[in-house]
Amino acid sequence: MAKGRKRGYRQLVEADLDIMPLMNLFVVLIPMLLLSAVFVELSVIDMNLPPADARAENPPPQSLDLSVTIDRARYVVKAQRLAPRIIERADAETADQELTTLLAGIVQQHPGTEDIAIVAQGDTPYQDVITLMDISREAGLPSISLAGDTAR
Amino acid sequence: MTSMMDILTVLLLFLLKSFVVEAEVITPAAGVQLPESTSRQDPPETVVIAINDEQVTVGDHVVAPVGIGNGDSLLIPALAAHLRTLQDQSRSLASRRGESAPIAGRITIQGDRDMPFQLLQRVMYTCNQSGYDDISLAVIQTS
Repeated sequence: MAKGRKRGYRQLVEADLDIMPLMNLFVVLIPMLLLSAVFVELSVIDMNLPPADARAENPPPQSLDLSVTIDRARYVVKAQRLAPRIIERADAETADQELTTLLAGIVQQHPGTEDIAIVAQGDTPYQDVITLMDISREAGLPSISLAGDTAR
Repeated sequence: MTSMMDILTVLLLFLLKSFVVEAEVITPAAGVQLPESTSRQDPPETVVIAINDEQVTVGDHVVAPVGIGNGDSLLIPALAAHLRTLQDQSRSLASRRGESAPIAGRITIQGDRDMPFQLLQRVMYTCNQSGYDDISLAVIQTS
């Protein structure tokens, strides 16, 4: 920093980056993105209904006609050539597990079975029906039809 | 100061990334607690029927108030009429565009998890009778 040098060189000024405006931007942008962030993932269960004008087909003679009737207290599994099985629903998790095992067993004994009918009461909660559809899918019965129990 | 900048930059990049990837197609309707399911199918972009305690809503339009769950018939007249109007509208739109393909008839039902099965049955029957065969039930993913 000799006196003679000062005239020859431009003085280097330390440039201070002004980040306050950038911070302002972040303060606005981050809450907005946080609010629109997805913490719950949605998916769907597809159901294909036959067109309104189609008539009901007769099931093929070999088919099991597997059906699960659900009401508040129990699951009743019925099939063409098997005795009806009743699973008490006192404990939800064990009941679901038992039902999955039972259905998987039936599928194993009768390979080629894909259809199941879910018969629900008028006041069965939607969540129970969805859970039953999950159980059927897990047990290897992707083709599910819903029916209402109008006998009662 | 610079460390706060670092935090905010990383947070911003993460949120931008998840924002772009998700691009949520359907938003859950207000007042509806969707049931949980292990299904992993992506929600399609369709007409959405939301059923909550009070009413049935198609898109933004409130179609029928509480009390549609009662009665003997499976069909819900107000809903059927509205859906048929929608079908006609989309058909006329497609014909104006020059497309001759039949309308797919896709619809998504968002129902509250405690909704009685009878109500679901009626809504599905009404959709079927109004030309919407391909029904998807909206659920929340769970393991």
